[in-house]
Amino acid sequence: MSVLELREVYRTHGKGETAVHALRGVTLAVAPGEFVAVMGPSGSGKSTLLNLAGGLDAPTRGEVVVEGSVLGGLNRKQLAAVRRRRVGYVFQDLNLLPSLTAAENVALPLELDGMSLRKTRRHAIAALEEVGLADLALRFPDEMSGGQQQRVAIARALVGDRRLVLADEPTGALDSQTGEAVLKLLRARVDAGAAGVLVTHEARHAAWADRVVFLRDGEIVDTSGPLVQPEELLHNVPGVRA
Amino acid sequence: MSVKHGLLALLERGSRYGYQLRAEFEQATGGTWPLNIGQVYTTLARLERDGLVHALPESDGGQRPYEITDDGRVELTLWFATPISPADRPRDELAIKLALALTTPGVDVRAVVQTQRTATMRLLQEYTRLKGGAERPGDLAWRLVLDAMIFRAEAEVRWLDHCESSLARYAHIHPIPAAGGVSDDLAPAETTRETTKR
Repeated sequence: MSVLELREVYRTHGKGETAVHALRGVTLAVAPGEFVAVMGPSGSGKSTLLNLAGGLDAPTRGEVVVEGSVLGGLNRKQLAAVRRRRVGYVFQDLNLLPSLTAAENVALPLELDGMSLRKTRRHAIAALEEVGLADLALRFPDEMSGGQQQRVAIARALVGDRRLVLADEPTGALDSQTGEAVLKLLRARVDAGAAGVLVTHEARHAAWADRVVFLRDGEIVDTSGPLVQPEELLHNVPGVRA
Repeated sequence: MSVKHGLLALLERGSRYGYQLRAEFEQATGGTWPLNIGQVYTTLARLERDGLVHALPESDGGQRPYEITDDGRVELTLWFATPISPADRPRDELAIKLALALTTPGVDVRAVVQTQRTATMRLLQEYTRLKGGAERPGDLAWRLVLDAMIFRAEAEVRWLDHCESSLARYAHIHPIPAAGGVSDDLAPAETTRETTKR
Protein backbone atom coordinates (compact mmCIF):
# COMPACT_ATOMS: atom_id res chain seq x y z
CA MET A 1 0.00 0.00 0.00
CA SER A 2 1.19 3.48 -0.76
CA VAL A 3 2.13 5.68 2.17
CA LEU A 4 1.00 8.74 0.24
CA GLU A 5 -1.50 8.98 -2.56
CA LEU A 6 -2.75 12.01 -4.44
CA ARG A 7 -5.80 11.22 -6.54
CA GLU A 8 -6.72 13.72 -9.26
CA VAL A 9 -5.88 16.58 -6.97
CA TYR A 10 -6.82 20.17 -7.88
CA ARG A 11 -6.01 23.24 -5.84
CA THR A 12 -7.40 26.58 -6.90
CA HIS A 13 -6.80 29.83 -5.06
CA GLY A 14 -9.45 32.53 -5.52
CA LYS A 15 -12.49 32.48 -7.77
CA GLY A 16 -13.63 33.48 -11.23
CA GLU A 17 -11.30 35.43 -13.53
CA THR A 18 -8.59 35.94 -10.93
CA ALA A 19 -8.50 32.28 -9.88
CA VAL A 20 -5.04 30.74 -9.72
CA HIS A 21 -4.88 27.04 -10.53
CA ALA A 22 -1.94 25.87 -8.46
CA LEU A 23 -2.52 22.18 -9.16
CA ARG A 24 -4.56 20.71 -11.97
CA GLY A 25 -5.35 17.03 -11.72
CA VAL A 26 -2.22 15.65 -10.11
CA THR A 27 -2.12 11.92 -9.40
CA LEU A 28 0.87 10.53 -7.54
CA ALA A 29 1.55 7.52 -5.31
CA VAL A 30 4.60 7.04 -3.11
CA ALA A 31 5.32 3.57 -1.74
CA PRO A 32 7.29 2.66 1.40
CA GLY A 33 11.00 2.77 0.58
CA GLU A 34 10.39 5.12 -2.32
CA PHE A 35 11.90 8.58 -2.64
CA VAL A 36 10.20 10.93 -5.10
CA ALA A 37 11.56 14.33 -6.08
CA VAL A 38 9.32 17.04 -7.47
CA MET A 39 10.94 19.58 -9.77
CA GLY A 40 9.58 22.51 -11.70
CA PRO A 41 9.95 26.26 -12.17
CA SER A 42 8.68 28.69 -9.52
CA GLY A 43 4.91 28.81 -9.56
CA SER A 44 4.59 25.31 -11.00
CA GLY A 45 2.82 24.05 -7.88
CA LYS A 46 5.68 22.22 -6.12
CA SER A 47 5.14 23.66 -2.66
CA THR A 48 1.35 23.42 -2.97
CA LEU A 49 1.77 19.72 -3.67
CA LEU A 50 3.89 19.27 -0.58
CA ASN A 51 1.50 21.23 1.65
CA LEU A 52 -1.40 19.12 0.43
CA ALA A 53 0.56 15.90 1.00
CA GLY A 54 1.26 16.94 4.58
CA GLY A 55 -2.29 17.98 5.37
CA LEU A 56 -1.26 21.63 5.78
CA ASP A 57 -3.63 22.61 2.98
CA ALA A 58 -6.75 20.96 1.52
CA PRO A 59 -7.42 20.22 -2.15
CA THR A 60 -10.21 22.01 -4.02
CA ARG A 61 -11.02 18.71 -5.68
CA GLY A 62 -9.60 15.18 -5.47
CA GLU A 63 -8.25 13.19 -2.52
CA VAL A 64 -5.08 13.06 -0.49
CA VAL A 65 -4.53 9.73 1.28
CA VAL A 66 -1.88 9.19 3.97
CA GLU A 67 -1.41 5.58 5.09
CA GLY A 68 -4.97 4.72 4.11
CA SER A 69 -6.64 7.76 5.70
CA VAL A 70 -8.34 10.15 3.30
CA LEU A 71 -7.32 13.47 4.84
CA GLY A 72 -10.50 15.21 3.67
CA GLY A 73 -12.58 12.73 5.68
CA LEU A 74 -10.86 13.49 9.01
CA ASN A 75 -11.98 16.00 11.59
CA ARG A 76 -9.54 18.64 12.82
CA LYS A 77 -8.33 16.59 15.74
CA GLN A 78 -7.72 13.49 13.66
CA LEU A 79 -5.94 15.52 10.99
CA ALA A 80 -3.70 17.10 13.59
CA ALA A 81 -2.86 13.63 14.89
CA VAL A 82 -1.88 12.43 11.41
CA ARG A 83 0.32 15.48 10.99
CA ARG A 84 2.02 14.92 14.34
CA ARG A 85 2.48 11.15 14.19
CA ARG A 86 2.71 10.13 10.58
CA VAL A 87 4.34 13.00 8.75
CA GLY A 88 7.77 14.55 9.16
CA TYR A 89 8.49 17.94 7.62
CA VAL A 90 11.85 19.41 6.71
CA PHE A 91 11.71 22.96 5.45
CA GLN A 92 14.30 25.38 4.23
CA ASP A 93 13.26 27.60 7.08
CA LEU A 94 14.29 25.33 9.93
CA ASN A 95 11.82 26.56 12.54
CA LEU A 96 13.98 25.43 15.43
CA LEU A 97 13.01 27.10 18.69
CA PRO A 98 16.03 29.08 19.88
CA SER A 99 15.24 28.68 23.59
CA LEU A 100 15.19 24.88 23.42
CA THR A 101 18.18 22.52 23.16
CA ALA A 102 18.62 20.24 20.16
CA ALA A 103 17.11 17.33 22.10
CA GLU A 104 14.16 19.43 23.28
CA ASN A 105 13.48 20.67 19.77
CA VAL A 106 13.48 17.13 18.47
CA ALA A 107 11.28 15.87 21.32
CA LEU A 108 8.71 18.64 20.90
CA PRO A 109 6.34 16.92 18.43
CA LEU A 110 6.17 13.84 20.65
CA GLU A 111 5.66 15.93 23.76
CA LEU A 112 2.81 17.78 22.08
CA ASP A 113 1.38 14.39 21.33
CA GLY A 114 1.21 13.63 25.05
CA MET A 115 4.08 11.15 25.28
CA SER A 116 5.85 10.86 28.64
CA LEU A 117 8.92 13.01 29.11
CA ARG A 118 11.24 10.08 29.62
CA LYS A 119 10.03 8.39 26.43
CA THR A 120 10.27 11.54 24.33
CA ARG A 121 13.81 12.02 25.52
CA ARG A 122 14.78 8.51 24.53
CA HIS A 123 13.25 8.94 21.07
CA ALA A 124 14.91 12.32 20.63
CA ILE A 125 18.37 10.96 21.44
CA ALA A 126 17.81 8.06 19.02
CA ALA A 127 16.79 10.48 16.27
CA LEU A 128 19.82 12.68 16.94
CA GLU A 129 22.03 9.61 16.84
CA GLU A 130 20.62 8.76 13.44
CA VAL A 131 21.79 12.12 12.09
CA GLY A 132 25.14 11.85 13.87
CA LEU A 133 24.51 14.56 16.46
CA ALA A 134 23.96 12.65 19.70
CA ASP A 135 26.87 14.47 21.35
CA LEU A 136 25.33 17.87 20.63
CA ALA A 137 21.96 17.04 22.20
CA LEU A 138 22.30 19.71 24.90
CA ARG A 139 23.38 22.54 22.62
CA PHE A 140 21.10 25.39 21.65
CA PRO A 141 20.54 26.14 17.95
CA ASP A 142 22.75 29.24 17.97
CA GLU A 143 25.64 27.13 19.28
CA MET A 144 25.56 24.98 16.14
CA SER A 145 26.56 25.44 12.50
CA GLY A 146 23.96 25.79 9.77
CA GLY A 147 24.53 22.20 8.68
CA GLN A 148 24.15 20.91 12.24
CA GLN A 149 20.94 22.89 12.71
CA GLN A 150 19.54 21.40 9.53
CA ARG A 151 20.39 17.94 10.83
CA VAL A 152 18.52 18.71 14.05
CA ALA A 153 15.53 19.79 11.95
CA ILE A 154 15.75 16.48 10.10
CA ALA A 155 15.98 14.54 13.36
CA ARG A 156 12.82 16.35 14.47
CA ALA A 157 11.14 15.36 11.21
CA LEU A 158 12.16 11.73 11.66
CA VAL A 159 11.58 11.30 15.40
CA GLY A 160 9.25 8.50 16.43
CA ASP A 161 7.75 6.33 13.77
CA ARG A 162 6.99 8.64 10.87
CA ARG A 163 6.61 6.91 7.58
CA LEU A 164 6.12 9.96 5.39
CA VAL A 165 8.93 12.49 5.16
CA LEU A 166 8.28 15.72 3.26
CA ALA A 167 11.15 18.05 2.44
CA ASP A 168 10.99 21.47 0.80
CA GLU A 169 14.41 22.66 -0.44
CA PRO A 170 15.98 21.14 2.69
CA THR A 171 19.52 22.01 1.67
CA GLY A 172 18.77 25.73 1.51
CA ALA A 173 21.96 27.74 1.68
CA LEU A 174 24.19 24.84 2.75
CA ASP A 175 27.43 24.23 0.87
CA SER A 176 27.61 21.27 -1.49
CA GLN A 177 29.16 18.81 0.99
CA THR A 178 26.77 19.62 3.82
CA GLY A 179 23.83 19.66 1.42
CA GLU A 180 24.80 16.25 0.19
CA ALA A 181 24.98 14.92 3.75
CA VAL A 182 21.40 16.09 4.27
CA LEU A 183 20.23 14.27 1.14
CA LYS A 184 22.07 11.13 2.24
CA LEU A 185 20.21 11.21 5.56
CA LEU A 186 16.86 11.49 3.83
CA ARG A 187 17.84 8.74 1.43
CA ALA A 188 18.85 6.47 4.33
CA ARG A 189 15.54 7.07 6.11
CA VAL A 190 13.65 6.16 2.96
CA ASP A 191 15.80 3.07 2.43
CA ALA A 192 14.83 2.06 5.96
CA GLY A 193 11.19 1.97 4.89
CA ALA A 194 9.77 5.50 4.93
CA ALA A 195 8.22 7.23 1.93
CA GLY A 196 9.90 10.48 0.96
CA VAL A 197 8.89 13.47 -1.12
CA LEU A 198 11.46 16.14 -1.88
CA VAL A 199 10.67 19.45 -3.54
CA THR A 200 13.71 21.10 -5.09
CA HIS A 201 14.87 23.06 -8.09
CA GLU A 202 18.35 21.54 -7.87
CA ALA A 203 18.76 18.63 -10.25
CA ARG A 204 21.76 17.35 -8.31
CA HIS A 205 19.61 16.94 -5.22
CA ALA A 206 16.61 15.53 -7.06
CA ALA A 207 18.99 12.89 -8.41
CA TRP A 208 19.00 11.17 -5.00
CA ALA A 209 15.37 10.18 -5.61
CA ASP A 210 14.11 7.01 -7.24
CA ARG A 211 11.71 8.98 -9.36
CA VAL A 212 11.72 12.62 -10.44
CA VAL A 213 8.39 14.22 -11.28
CA PHE A 214 8.37 17.40 -13.37
CA LEU A 215 5.59 19.88 -12.67
CA ARG A 216 4.63 22.67 -15.01
CA ASP A 217 1.66 24.99 -14.53
CA GLY A 218 0.20 22.65 -11.94
CA GLU A 219 0.41 19.50 -14.02
CA ILE A 220 2.84 16.59 -14.11
CA VAL A 221 4.49 16.78 -17.52
CA ASP A 222 7.01 14.00 -17.20
CA THR A 223 8.53 11.47 -14.84
CA SER A 224 12.04 10.11 -14.91
CA GLY A 225 12.03 6.50 -13.88
CA PRO A 226 12.15 3.59 -13.54
CA LEU A 227 15.91 3.53 -13.41
CA VAL A 228 18.01 1.91 -16.10
CA GLN A 229 20.34 -0.96 -15.37
CA PRO A 230 24.05 -0.33 -14.73
CA GLU A 231 25.06 -2.22 -17.91
CA GLU A 232 23.07 0.25 -20.01
CA LEU A 233 24.58 3.11 -18.09
CA LEU A 234 28.08 2.67 -19.47
CA HIS A 235 26.76 3.26 -22.95
CA ASN A 236 25.32 6.60 -21.87
CA VAL A 237 28.41 8.05 -20.23
CA PRO A 238 29.83 10.88 -22.35
CA GLY A 239 33.26 10.02 -23.64
CA VAL A 240 32.88 6.28 -23.23
CA ARG A 241 33.54 4.26 -26.30
CA ALA A 242 32.19 0.92 -25.13
CA MET B 1 41.33 15.13 -22.89
CA SER B 2 43.60 12.85 -24.81
CA VAL B 3 44.76 9.38 -23.92
CA LYS B 4 48.22 10.79 -24.61
CA HIS B 5 48.35 12.93 -21.48
CA GLY B 6 46.76 10.22 -19.40
CA LEU B 7 49.54 7.82 -20.33
CA LEU B 8 52.23 10.44 -19.73
CA ALA B 9 50.82 11.03 -16.25
CA LEU B 10 50.95 7.31 -15.49
CA LEU B 11 54.51 6.99 -16.84
CA GLU B 12 55.56 9.84 -14.58
CA ARG B 13 55.09 7.37 -11.70
CA GLY B 14 57.64 5.01 -13.27
CA SER B 15 58.14 2.86 -16.34
CA ARG B 16 55.18 0.73 -17.40
CA TYR B 17 54.24 -1.56 -20.27
CA GLY B 18 51.05 -1.49 -22.33
CA TYR B 19 48.78 -3.73 -20.28
CA GLN B 20 49.79 -2.03 -17.03
CA LEU B 21 49.02 1.36 -18.54
CA ARG B 22 45.62 0.25 -19.69
CA ALA B 23 44.73 -1.22 -16.29
CA GLU B 24 45.93 1.85 -14.38
CA PHE B 25 44.21 4.25 -16.77
CA GLU B 26 40.89 2.51 -16.24
CA GLN B 27 41.42 2.42 -12.52
CA ALA B 28 42.18 6.14 -12.43
CA THR B 29 39.02 7.00 -14.34
CA GLY B 30 36.84 4.64 -12.35
CA GLY B 31 36.14 2.48 -15.37
CA THR B 32 34.27 5.31 -17.08
CA TRP B 33 36.72 5.38 -19.94
CA PRO B 34 37.61 1.88 -21.12
CA LEU B 35 40.60 1.72 -23.47
CA ASN B 36 41.46 -1.07 -25.82
CA ILE B 37 45.05 -2.23 -25.87
CA GLY B 38 45.41 -1.19 -29.52
CA GLN B 39 44.71 2.43 -28.55
CA VAL B 40 47.38 2.22 -25.86
CA TYR B 41 50.04 0.93 -28.27
CA THR B 42 49.15 3.41 -31.05
CA THR B 43 49.38 6.24 -28.54
CA LEU B 44 52.71 4.97 -27.18
CA ALA B 45 54.09 4.76 -30.74
CA ARG B 46 53.08 8.40 -31.37
CA LEU B 47 54.56 9.52 -28.04
CA GLU B 48 57.81 7.77 -28.92
CA ARG B 49 57.87 9.37 -32.38
CA ASP B 50 57.49 12.79 -30.72
CA GLY B 51 60.25 12.04 -28.23
CA LEU B 52 57.98 12.20 -25.19
CA VAL B 53 58.57 8.60 -24.11
CA HIS B 54 61.13 6.03 -25.04
CA ALA B 55 60.99 2.27 -25.14
CA LEU B 56 63.19 0.19 -22.82
CA PRO B 57 64.58 -3.26 -23.68
CA GLU B 58 62.03 -6.06 -23.69
CA SER B 59 61.69 -8.03 -20.48
CA ASP B 60 62.07 -11.81 -20.29
CA GLY B 61 58.33 -12.14 -20.55
CA GLY B 62 58.37 -10.26 -23.84
CA GLN B 63 56.87 -7.06 -22.35
CA ARG B 64 58.31 -3.79 -23.57
CA PRO B 65 58.19 -1.12 -20.86
CA TYR B 66 58.23 2.59 -21.67
CA GLU B 67 59.58 5.50 -19.68
CA ILE B 68 58.84 9.20 -19.85
CA THR B 69 61.52 11.54 -21.28
CA ASP B 70 62.39 15.09 -20.13
CA ASP B 71 60.36 16.44 -23.08
CA GLY B 72 57.53 14.24 -21.92
CA ARG B 73 57.71 15.78 -18.42
CA VAL B 74 57.59 19.28 -19.92
CA GLU B 75 54.53 18.30 -21.98
CA LEU B 76 52.86 16.84 -18.89
CA THR B 77 53.58 19.90 -16.74
CA LEU B 78 52.18 22.10 -19.48
CA TRP B 79 49.06 19.95 -19.67
CA PHE B 80 48.39 20.19 -15.93
CA ALA B 81 48.97 23.95 -16.11
CA THR B 82 46.63 24.59 -19.07
CA PRO B 83 42.87 24.81 -18.64
CA ILE B 84 40.79 22.41 -20.72
CA SER B 85 39.00 24.12 -23.60
CA PRO B 86 35.26 23.57 -23.68
CA ALA B 87 35.46 22.16 -27.18
CA ASP B 88 33.80 18.91 -28.06
CA ARG B 89 31.30 18.75 -25.21
CA PRO B 90 28.22 16.69 -25.93
CA ARG B 91 26.07 19.70 -25.05
CA ASP B 92 27.09 21.43 -28.28
CA GLU B 93 25.10 18.94 -30.29
CA LEU B 94 22.18 19.53 -27.99
CA ALA B 95 22.45 23.30 -28.43
CA ILE B 96 22.43 22.94 -32.19
CA LYS B 97 19.50 20.58 -31.98
CA LEU B 98 17.50 23.08 -29.92
CA ALA B 99 18.40 25.97 -32.22
CA LEU B 100 17.24 23.92 -35.17
CA ALA B 101 14.09 22.89 -33.35
CA LEU B 102 13.35 26.58 -32.79
CA THR B 103 13.61 27.44 -36.45
CA THR B 104 11.96 24.33 -37.86
CA PRO B 105 8.21 24.77 -38.33
CA GLY B 106 5.96 22.38 -36.49
CA VAL B 107 8.50 21.25 -33.87
CA ASP B 108 7.38 21.37 -30.23
CA VAL B 109 10.53 22.87 -28.72
CA ARG B 110 9.25 22.55 -25.15
CA ALA B 111 8.80 18.83 -25.73
CA VAL B 112 12.36 18.58 -27.08
CA VAL B 113 13.61 20.36 -23.94
CA GLN B 114 11.55 18.15 -21.65
CA THR B 115 12.62 14.91 -23.34
CA GLN B 116 16.25 15.87 -22.95
CA ARG B 117 15.78 16.97 -19.36
CA THR B 118 14.16 13.69 -18.38
CA ALA B 119 16.97 11.73 -20.01
CA THR B 120 19.69 13.83 -18.39
CA MET B 121 17.90 13.62 -15.06
CA ARG B 122 17.85 9.85 -15.29
CA LEU B 123 21.57 9.82 -15.99
CA LEU B 124 22.09 12.09 -13.00
CA GLN B 125 20.12 9.65 -10.83
CA GLU B 126 22.33 6.80 -12.00
CA TYR B 127 25.55 8.66 -11.23
CA THR B 128 24.19 9.57 -7.83
CA ARG B 129 23.24 6.01 -7.10
CA LEU B 130 26.73 4.82 -8.01
CA LYS B 131 28.14 7.47 -5.74
CA GLY B 132 25.80 6.66 -2.87
CA GLY B 133 27.23 3.14 -2.76
CA ALA B 134 30.09 1.94 -0.61
CA GLU B 135 32.61 4.58 0.35
CA ARG B 136 36.00 2.96 0.47
CA PRO B 137 39.05 4.98 1.47
CA GLY B 138 40.87 4.69 -1.88
CA ASP B 139 37.79 5.81 -3.77
CA LEU B 140 38.37 9.54 -3.80
CA ALA B 141 39.68 9.69 -7.38
CA TRP B 142 36.74 7.66 -8.63
CA ARG B 143 34.22 9.73 -6.71
CA LEU B 144 35.68 12.96 -8.08
CA VAL B 145 35.37 11.63 -11.63
CA LEU B 146 31.76 10.75 -10.83
CA ASP B 147 31.20 14.20 -9.32
CA ALA B 148 32.49 15.77 -12.52
CA MET B 149 29.85 13.89 -14.48
CA ILE B 150 27.23 14.81 -11.90
CA PHE B 151 28.01 18.51 -12.02
CA ARG B 152 28.11 18.48 -15.82
CA ALA B 153 24.74 16.75 -16.05
CA GLU B 154 23.38 19.21 -13.52
CA ALA B 155 24.65 22.11 -15.62
CA GLU B 156 22.84 20.69 -18.60
CA VAL B 157 19.58 20.44 -16.65
CA ARG B 158 20.00 24.04 -15.48
CA TRP B 159 20.66 25.20 -19.00
CA LEU B 160 17.53 23.34 -20.16
CA ASP B 161 15.55 25.06 -17.38
CA HIS B 162 16.92 28.34 -18.67
CA CYS B 163 15.91 27.45 -22.25
CA GLU B 164 12.43 26.62 -21.08
CA SER B 165 11.94 29.91 -19.26
CA SER B 166 13.42 31.81 -22.23
CA LEU B 167 10.95 30.04 -24.48
CA ALA B 168 8.08 30.92 -22.18
CA ARG B 169 9.15 34.57 -22.09
CA TYR B 170 9.66 34.65 -25.84
CA ALA B 171 6.24 33.12 -26.48
CA HIS B 172 4.79 35.77 -24.19
CA ILE B 173 6.40 38.70 -26.08
CA HIS B 174 5.92 37.22 -29.54
CA PRO B 175 2.72 35.18 -29.44
CA ILE B 176 3.65 33.18 -32.52
CA PRO B 177 4.19 29.41 -32.42
CA ALA B 178 7.69 28.05 -31.94
CA ALA B 179 8.41 28.20 -35.67
CA GLY B 180 8.58 32.02 -35.47
CA GLY B 181 12.35 32.45 -35.54
CA VAL B 182 15.37 32.77 -33.32
CA SER B 183 15.62 35.55 -30.82
CA ASP B 184 19.01 36.98 -29.97
CA ASP B 185 18.59 36.51 -26.27
CA LEU B 186 18.07 32.77 -26.53
CA ALA B 187 20.90 30.62 -25.34
CA PRO B 188 20.76 28.05 -28.16
CA ALA B 189 21.26 30.68 -30.85
CA GLU B 190 24.26 32.08 -29.06
CA THR B 191 25.88 28.72 -28.53
CA THR B 192 25.32 27.86 -32.17
CA ARG B 193 27.26 30.89 -33.30
CA GLU B 194 30.17 29.84 -31.17
CA THR B 195 30.01 26.29 -32.38
CA THR B 196 29.93 27.15 -36.06
CA LYS B 197 33.01 29.31 -35.63
CA ARG B 198 35.10 26.28 -34.80
